[in-house]
Amino acid sequence: MNTRDERISFDVIVVGAGLAGPAAAMVAARAGLNVALVERGQKPGSKNYFGGAIYTHAIEELIPDFMSRRPPFERPVTEAGFWFLSEDGLTRMTVQGGKLANQPADAYTTLRAPFDLWWTEQAQKDGVFLIPKTTVVDFIREADGQVIGVKTDRPQGDIYAPVVIICEGVNNILTQKLGLIEHDLEPAHLALGVKQVVALPPETINARFGLPDNDHGLAVSVLGDVSLGLPGMGFVYTNSKTLSVGLGVMLSTLSEYKLKPYEVLQRYLQHPAIAPLVAGGQLLEYGGHLIPEGGYRDMPKLYTGGALVAGDAAAMVNALHWEGTNMAIIAGKLAGETAIEAHGRGDFSNKVMVGYEERLKASFILPDLKQYRGFSHFLDTHPEFMGTYPAFLNDALGDFFSAYGRPKMQLFKGMLGSLTERRSLPRAAGDIISMGRAVLGW
Amino acid sequence: MKRNDGFEAKELPAAVQETLPDVYVDDLLVSIKYFIDEEQSHLWIKDHALCARCRHKPCLDFCPVSVYTLAHDGKIQVAYQACVECGSCRVGCPYNNIGWQLPRGGHGVAYKFG
Ligand SMILES: Cc1cc2nc3c(=O)[nH]c(=O)nc-3n(C[C@H](O)[C@H](O)[C@H](O)COP(=O)(O)OP(=O)(O)OC[C@H]3O[C@@H](n4cnc5c(N)ncnc54)[C@H](O)[C@@H]3O)c2cc1C
Ligand code: SF4
Ligand code: SF4
Repeated sequence: MNTRDERISFDVIVVGAGLAGPAAAMVAARAGLNVALVERGQKPGSKNYFGGAIYTHAIEELIPDFMSRRPPFERPVTEAGFWFLSEDGLTRMTVQGGKLANQPADAYTTLRAPFDLWWTEQAQKDGVFLIPKTTVVDFIREADGQVIGVKTDRPQGDIYAPVVIICEGVNNILTQKLGLIEHDLEPAHLALGVKQVVALPPETINARFGLPDNDHGLAVSVLGDVSLGLPGMGFVYTNSKTLSVGLGVMLSTLSEYKLKPYEVLQRYLQHPAIAPLVAGGQLLEYGGHLIPEGGYRDMPKLYTGGALVAGDAAAMVNALHWEGTNMAIIAGKLAGETAIEAHGRGDFSNKVMVGYEERLKASFILPDLKQYRGFSHFLDTHPEFMGTYPAFLNDALGDFFSAYGRPKMQLFKGMLGSLTERRSLPRAAGDIISMGRAVLGW
Repeated sequence: MKRNDGFEAKELPAAVQETLPDVYVDDLLVSIKYFIDEEQSHLWIKDHALCARCRHKPCLDFCPVSVYTLAHDGKIQVAYQACVECGSCRVGCPYNNIGWQLPRGGHGVAYKFG
């Protein structure tokens, strides 16, 4: 047993070098605190996974001059939107120009392994001490439950600190250990995302996606046939020399319909509208990761004496937009600020830790999560948004643009018919109202 | 721990089911980098008798890298080396019958792209 003097101790321990962790660590270190960042992967980023695009507003809040530090972004997102897949067709609804022409861009397509490494290096520049290849397995607590450190899987691996910030991601094992949430997240609240990173020459990417050059990029969410009309969503992101193409389906849906995620993904890649986009590309990497879609309903208690939780570990994801990176970064920052306040006051009890929740309420995070709280339930109960409507859009637009020489009234009646065959009008109207309720909190 | 003791199986229309292609998972696995822990598995079946009674055996379906397969003797076998640590089986086994730990520090999947 270590005596008090031999103890390895820091002012703050942050668990997890994803997006939330380094953010929390860098904020605390800048205030002069001694910060350890513990990461189980070989390197920061080895374990991390997403679609995806990173939103710069969050990065900028921590590092105003981030562009001059050359973040390993892929392409600016200059075109974004939705693609609706029917069985054999595709309707695109994307925007470009306007805000999407901002410099630096509001979002960049990104790969997480290089990005998280860079993000952690920025924290290290602020003096954060990185402890990689180390898994935190438990907490060290006082008799009254106050957290005073962590146990790791290293020999003599106990590390002490009066504040521990848990940024462990979606598999919230430590958060559960502290009793901040009582049970595992339910399969109906978790989407399993699978993706292929496919290499193609940049010129080919530009030509296939109608991008003028390598400084333009596309980020789209894909609905409809991509998930066999079941609750789920696909995506396509153009990177510099690769495409990130994947999809997410609720874990409960995979079980109920006996679906294998790689088969659903392969089917999507073979879709007549998608196959030409990836044709001839070389598979560089396949993988999978969970997304906590329950949002507000699945949030744990966010603090206890000596500990705070941020990011996916606290279900901070906007399920409609799959926005998680920005929430993780800002929540990490707010947790870091709370740690600074606690050190300033010399008080690590609930009294100061509750300030973290207050900060989250004052930011976009808790208000956004609250507003979208009905959304994943909405998709559970309205699967037609995934199947019926994307198919209808394709048929209707297909008719609209091929109805030459037909009386136009007949055309519109046909379109209406194509919708009502699928869903009665009052039900369609009802769908729109409940969609509004779910998204806008009507 | 709260756990739904099963779920209702549903069926896709046959015409949709038929559109699912066969995939040879090993073709996907070769693209993933791992630091395999040769000494210990971070995944295990707690009670094989329970698996025998598990009607739908969803672990055979949802795992993105097909870690779980049915052996000739009907037992579930666990190829933990291929695991990408997504956590699906940790919460998706209806009987909470899968022992699940994070691999030891530095081991397991190491995405190059992510
Ligand atoms: C398929 C998919 C697509 C997505 N697309 C987007 C997108 O386009 N845009 C977007 O904004 N968001 C997207 N998201 C969500 C986003 O990726 C997450 O919200 C974000 O990564 C959360 O960051 P985090 O820091 O909370 O957790 P993570 O990034 O998961 O980081 C957790 C870290 O903790 C480490 N760790 C865990 N446990 C321990 C332990 N016990 N000891 C030591 N280390 C530990 C892990 O190794 C990891 O490095 C997507 C997610 C998925 C799965
Ligand atoms: S591991 Fe779980 S899901 Fe798989 S067969 Fe056994 S009980 Fe069923
Ligand atoms: S954690 Fe994910 S990848 Fe690993 S065995 Fe379970 S389902 Fe498969």
